[in-house]
Amino acid sequence: MPNDITKVKRPTSTDQALLVVKDLRKKYGDFEAVKGVSFEVKAGEVFGILGPNGAGKTTTLEMIEGMRPIDKGSATLDGVSVAKHPFQIKEMIGVQLQSSSFFDNLSLTEILFLFGDLYGQSAHPDELLKEVNLQEKAKARVKNLSGGQKQRFSIAAALVNNPIAIFLDEPTTGLDPQARRNLWDLVQQIQAKGTTVILTTHYMEEAQVLCNRVAIMDAGKIIALDTPDRLIADLLGRGFEPKTNVAKATLEDVFIDLTGKDLRE
Amino acid sequence: MKRNWQSLRSLTIASIKMYFRNVTAVFFTLFIPVLLIVIFGVLNNGSGSSINVAVTNYSQTDLSKTFVKTVKDITAIKVEELSEGQAADKLGKGKTDLQVVVPAEFGEFDQTGQPKEAQIKAYYNEGRPQQGQPAALILKQIVSGFNDNLHRTPQTLTVDTKGVKTNNLGVIDFLIPGIMAMSIMQLGVFSVAFGFISYKTSGALRRLQATPTHPVNFIIAQSVARLIVGMLQVCVLLFLGIKFFHLHLIGNILNLLIVATLGTIVFLAFGFGIAGWAKEENQAAPVANLISFPMLFLSGVFFPRDGFPHYLKVITDYLPLTYLADAMHRIANEGAGLTTVRGDILGLVIWGIVAFAIAVRLFRWE
Repeated sequence: MPNDITKVKRPTSTDQALLVVKDLRKKYGDFEAVKGVSFEVKAGEVFGILGPNGAGKTTTLEMIEGMRPIDKGSATLDGVSVAKHPFQIKEMIGVQLQSSSFFDNLSLTEILFLFGDLYGQSAHPDELLKEVNLQEKAKARVKNLSGGQKQRFSIAAALVNNPIAIFLDEPTTGLDPQARRNLWDLVQQIQAKGTTVILTTHYMEEAQVLCNRVAIMDAGKIIALDTPDRLIADLLGRGFEPKTNVAKATLEDVFIDLTGKDLRE
Repeated sequence: MKRNWQSLRSLTIASIKMYFRNVTAVFFTLFIPVLLIVIFGVLNNGSGSSINVAVTNYSQTDLSKTFVKTVKDITAIKVEELSEGQAADKLGKGKTDLQVVVPAEFGEFDQTGQPKEAQIKAYYNEGRPQQGQPAALILKQIVSGFNDNLHRTPQTLTVDTKGVKTNNLGVIDFLIPGIMAMSIMQLGVFSVAFGFISYKTSGALRRLQATPTHPVNFIIAQSVARLIVGMLQVCVLLFLGIKFFHLHLIGNILNLLIVATLGTIVFLAFGFGIAGWAKEENQAAPVANLISFPMLFLSGVFFPRDGFPHYLKVITDYLPLTYLADAMHRIANEGAGLTTVRGDILGLVIWGIVAFAIAVRLFRWE
């Protein structure tokens, strides 16, 4: 990877599994969206779920988050069963939904206070906004934020209850390269504080930068699961050769080099 | 439990803030009703101020003659003595404000020398209660003075006042309670149907479901916010009516607020039924209009239903807005108590239960 973000040191994750998912299944009518998904996420790691649209990533996440009933199989977070105690799970985790929005007509500070109350805690909006670099927007409304700011605010709201794990569903989709890199920094910052991160993405580069391990999903199933490096090594081991010579820099590197890393918002 | 209370309180405060920061909602719930009243009030500012009373005296006693003279001596009241039929005709045409019938027994004594019981009948023009009702009150005071003179308890002489619906309707006194009822319906049906749907389509509701608070808390919070807005509407309309349009509020404000609260709850159930069933605003809008629009004209809000053909009157008797508007009219214009309007209250309660049951069945969070 060509940029310095990859050099950020990741805390060594413990081997203890924080999240255990076993044979998770979900049907919508006749359509089987998730067909028996199993994986484990260790405490402190960034775990990525990759896959094309419609692979079942979001449904899988939503079942684990206690937001969608589990048809079959089980998910256990820190020993707590999601199916049996969805509300307890919701207290333990932070969630960024793919297409969620917040209330209009409330300022960022007011929304964070409100969300703190929803967890029965008193939130500290100043600290949270500082953490996601939005302290100057404290009095702004969500609708007046840029795409990247919205996603960062969404992460601030997900951190309101000091969760042991946060779930980010496509946090960088639709963001420009600067905003995306900025969000990578944020994710790594969250991981550095010891919070486990489970995220989905379409961007392989992103997964390679952020994730300790990735699961690749397609058509409701996990078809590969390992560290990014080992998945690449496996592929090369199977005799894979890139179609063209790999350039030492990508077009994105050119773009970032020309436009700078400063956020445009 | 503590967390539940904390989140409910916080959601309620947030809902109130969001409501009052929503310019469109405030415009429709507070400004439009006031505008309607100003328009109608300015258009109908010409009603006379002296009180016309038609008296029919069937009694030959001195006491009855003193009574009629006492009434005549009050400068604010213009008294004519007419036969009962003529007087009723004048009242019906709106040419007199109060019709008073003094019965033959008035001031007579039975064999034992006890004064006979006698009830003066007083009918006032419901459309101009601002004239008729004070006159009836004055009559009551005169009669009670007579009673005191007779040293009798229980009182033998009484006044029975009844409102009579006539074609000559005083505008503001009729209009303000009606517009209150209308605003309550609009608040419940429209502000919920549209407000709640937008939370649903934007994903804000979904985000709320990712937190450990029960989503029903949000519905309660939204309802409480609208109940507060509803009370505020009633108070603002009363204040403006009394201050600028000489509204004579005969009834008890508390009774009005109680009925308004009940009405708001009923229409909130309608609103949440629509918002819970619909997937998007395009689905909610026609249904909300279909439910509320006919009632605006059929429930006696802007004009009384007396002119309706019989079948239509019978059907519209059962509309939820009819119950609400009727109760508000009778409390505001006739001073009715809650027991007097219990029929309306029962009607509202039944509608509330039905609407709530339907809302629960149709409700979808996504």
